[in-house]
Amino acid sequence: MRVIWSIAATTVGEAVRRRVLLIILLVGLLLLTIAPALGQLSARQETTVLKGFMLGMIQLTSAVIALVLTVYMIPNEIERRTIYTILSKPVQRWQFLLGKYFGAVLALALMMSLMTAVQLLIFFIQQGEIAMELARAPALFFVQMSLLAAVAIFFSTFVSPLVNFFLSGGIYLVGSVLSPLVDTLAQSRGTTPAAKIGVQVLSTVVPNFSSYNVQNPIINPGQQIQNESWYYTMVTVYGLFYVGILLVAGILIFDRREV
Amino acid sequence: MAAAIETRKLTKTYKSRLAGNVNVVDNLDLVVEEGEIFGFLGPNGAGKTTTIKMLLGIIYPTSGEATVLGREIGDMEVHKVISYLPERPYYYEHMTGMELLKFYASLFGIYDTEKCQRLLEKVNLAGDASKTISQYSKGMQQRVGLAQSLLNDPKLLFLDEPTGGLDPIAHTEIRDLILQFRDEGRTVFISSHELSEVERICDRVAIIHRGKIEAQGRLEELLKGGRIEIIADGVSSDLANSIKSADTTVSFKGGRLVVDMPDSNDPNALLDAIRSGKGNVVSVIPRRKRLEDLFVETVRSGATDGGNL
Repeated sequence: MRVIWSIAATTVGEAVRRRVLLIILLVGLLLLTIAPALGQLSARQETTVLKGFMLGMIQLTSAVIALVLTVYMIPNEIERRTIYTILSKPVQRWQFLLGKYFGAVLALALMMSLMTAVQLLIFFIQQGEIAMELARAPALFFVQMSLLAAVAIFFSTFVSPLVNFFLSGGIYLVGSVLSPLVDTLAQSRGTTPAAKIGVQVLSTVVPNFSSYNVQNPIINPGQQIQNESWYYTMVTVYGLFYVGILLVAGILIFDRREV
Repeated sequence: MAAAIETRKLTKTYKSRLAGNVNVVDNLDLVVEEGEIFGFLGPNGAGKTTTIKMLLGIIYPTSGEATVLGREIGDMEVHKVISYLPERPYYYEHMTGMELLKFYASLFGIYDTEKCQRLLEKVNLAGDASKTISQYSKGMQQRVGLAQSLLNDPKLLFLDEPTGGLDPIAHTEIRDLILQFRDEGRTVFISSHELSEVERICDRVAIIHRGKIEAQGRLEELLKGGRIEIIADGVSSDLANSIKSADTTVSFKGGRLVVDMPDSNDPNALLDAIRSGKGNVVSVIPRRKRLEDLFVETVRSGATDGGNL
């Protein structure tokens, strides 16, 4: 564990100093600060729009950070040859990969915590109340981004960063719309059985990212979760299951890869 | 003496779309003994770094076998007692010299700030311990690299071009450190094409070219075969004619004799003959064979019969 922790801590240190990530974070924070103005401009209920916009901004910013942070992680280590010094020490490849992944997740946690804190503060200043759903929703986003980071780390063991960016980003987008698509196709009379099977297979293979969007009042207006703690536990377990599969697959590929 | 590194027919083949299968390392038989400084020489692309990477378990051999300190390559027990300084190393730039050493130390389970401090002192970086790596010069980065390679008190060090691109002062500092490693009983495996440096510090060398070992042995054995130049005046033409042989070059004009002969021949017989013929010996200059000569000779000939000594 000490090896994984050392690599993770170094990864966090490096991530929080990467200019491109800090710029993306800064843009996210700036957009959060202008959210109250957008809420006032909207014809819909101000609070709903404000919450929806802020949560959307946190999710979008976190997704971009997760992708940019992870797609370069392994290729950069190889290109800069830092990996050689590490692997020449008593460090197994799986420890290295897990260390990089946990480092990425920790860095994401830090950045998302900052955005959530800023969001709660802005909402408090604007509305004079603390909205707990604005804290709960980013917690689900964090599981979602950890899953996205695992997808990107998996691909980074065998594809280039650019391809990985579009591949992982594509899976995130498809995974975000797949569940509603499956429902729509299931209800539609014109859908052929083959199409239904195809979409079912796709929805099984591609992680369902839409399960983590439930708290956004714009995306899911009026949606109520009957048993929140049960739902949160289940989607977290689901996410961890996929993360586990992706990391094991990534380790198996990385273990045989020539670096 | 036990072998620190031993390879038997170690081969690494890469597939190339244009050239088909290319043996980057080809049936490599290498023995490095414990406690010596071993120079692994070869031109760019000869297979030096690939060999080191295989020995470190970073890449996998296509065929053949190798042991490092008596264990199979890739064995984590070996990784506890070896270290590696890559060519043109890059370290995490946001870290200070001290943080970098602490990070690498933690990978061995070593949490000893004093040890890190001592190593920084050893490589003359104690005063720069709190500077970030981005503020370090190339020479300083190389020295902090050497410090990190000593964290685990290694029995065997792999140094890939340790003096590449450094100024003469940094060269001298690194060379002194490497000699110190040998005095401390460590085995040092240096990959380099800085021949004068290697000639100064290495006990044995191997020359690799196109993935194959072309020559391997102790430096004094490999560098046998120097020449002696004798210049004399007032020598008779009869004497000049009498000393001609296949491996000796003789030039004679106006009583001046210039002889270039292998140092394996005894020059005293010729010197006595010159003196007894009333000749005057002007100079006797022994010309030692240099590693550079051997290297160029070996690489140019591209001999495939090994040439192991």
